[in-house]
Amino acid sequence: MTDTSHRLYAVVIAVVVFFLSWAAVAAHPWATTSTDPRLAVLAQREQRLRADAKLVQHVVDTRMAAYRQALRARRAQIAAVKAQAAAAQARSLQVAQSSATSSSTSQYSAAPSVRVVNLPPLTITRTS
Amino acid sequence: MLRRAFRAMGTDVELLLDAEPGERADMALDRAEEEFERLEQVMSRFRDDSELSRLNREGVLENASLDLVRVVELALDARDATGGRFDPTVHDAVVAAGYDRTFDAVASDAPEAATAPTAHCGGRVRIDGTRIVLDPGGHLDLGGIGKGYTVDRVAELLAVLGPCLVNAGGDLAVRGGSWPIGVTDDLTLELSSGGIATSGRDRRRWLRGGEERHHLIDPSTGRPATATPLRVTVVAGSAAAAEVAAKAAFLGADIDLPHVVVTDDGRTILAGGLA
Repeated sequence: MTDTSHRLYAVVIAVVVFFLSWAAVAAHPWATTSTDPRLAVLAQREQRLRADAKLVQHVVDTRMAAYRQALRARRAQIAAVKAQAAAAQARSLQVAQSSATSSSTSQYSAAPSVRVVNLPPLTITRTS
Repeated sequence: MLRRAFRAMGTDVELLLDAEPGERADMALDRAEEEFERLEQVMSRFRDDSELSRLNREGVLENASLDLVRVVELALDARDATGGRFDPTVHDAVVAAGYDRTFDAVASDAPEAATAPTAHCGGRVRIDGTRIVLDPGGHLDLGGIGKGYTVDRVAELLAVLGPCLVNAGGDLAVRGGSWPIGVTDDLTLELSSGGIATSGRDRRRWLRGGEERHHLIDPSTGRPATATPLRVTVVAGSAAAAEVAAKAAFLGADIDLPHVVVTDDGRTILAGGLA
């Protein structure tokens, strides 16, 4: 009985040792840990892209700021022009109304020079 | 002498321009024709979509064009200056008399309406900037003065190129030059600036129920004027002013402008410094 148990333990231990050895060999512990050159290239490329992205973002931010500033200035100009146009329209309307009023009253008293002639008419007036 | 003739505002229009023929002159005459169309679209009471029709329909017009505002102002001033003989609010009376569509379409005779609508004259018109408001039920007719205003405007346009004459069915404006204008078969007036207009009952007349009607309403009665001369021709500083004065003189007003009166019996009377 004791021998049998010892043999069984020995077999189990042998199996365990075998699998541990197998795992150790499969893990290639002797292989070098040097970096794959393709990974290095990818890493460099990623860094370059990140740098480029930062640069592009900076350019975009700068241009957007300039655009917003120009937009504010342009809107201010448009508002000023609209205000001027509204004021001018109001003034012209006032002038037009006053001139219409003054002309309408002056026209009744001021007649242009006219004379009776003995010429064939170029055109005629008739009841309109 | 360049000449352009066309129809606008329900009448024959004639443009005479003393300028060199060419592209500029053609453009000016085209522009003048377009101006007639544009202003007719503003002031015609026969076009449903004109500014005036909208005003008459709704009683109020916001953002009226400057032209409409000016003509209404002129018409209201004319009403004051003529003691009400010229009145733009005779619209309903004109319609009641039968002139309810373009004159070409007015039947020469038709039965009298069973119940003639009440003619409304002398209503208030308020102008506030570009807002025009009529009294409830009031309507405007700017036919005569609108045509005179248009003739003056077009004459100003053409005058840039040279002396010109614009004649819209008897409403005339002249800028520069000397233009002999026939008033009667035996009378010719020479004019170098200003306008001439003739008001009368020898044209634009029709029958309703056998009764003769014409388009010149006496605002005091709301009906076509009676006991008037056959026609009156007036010379004034502009065609619009001549139109107003001619209508007022036709209705009996004393005017101090050169004018010619033709009576029913054919007599021609020169007045206002013409004699």
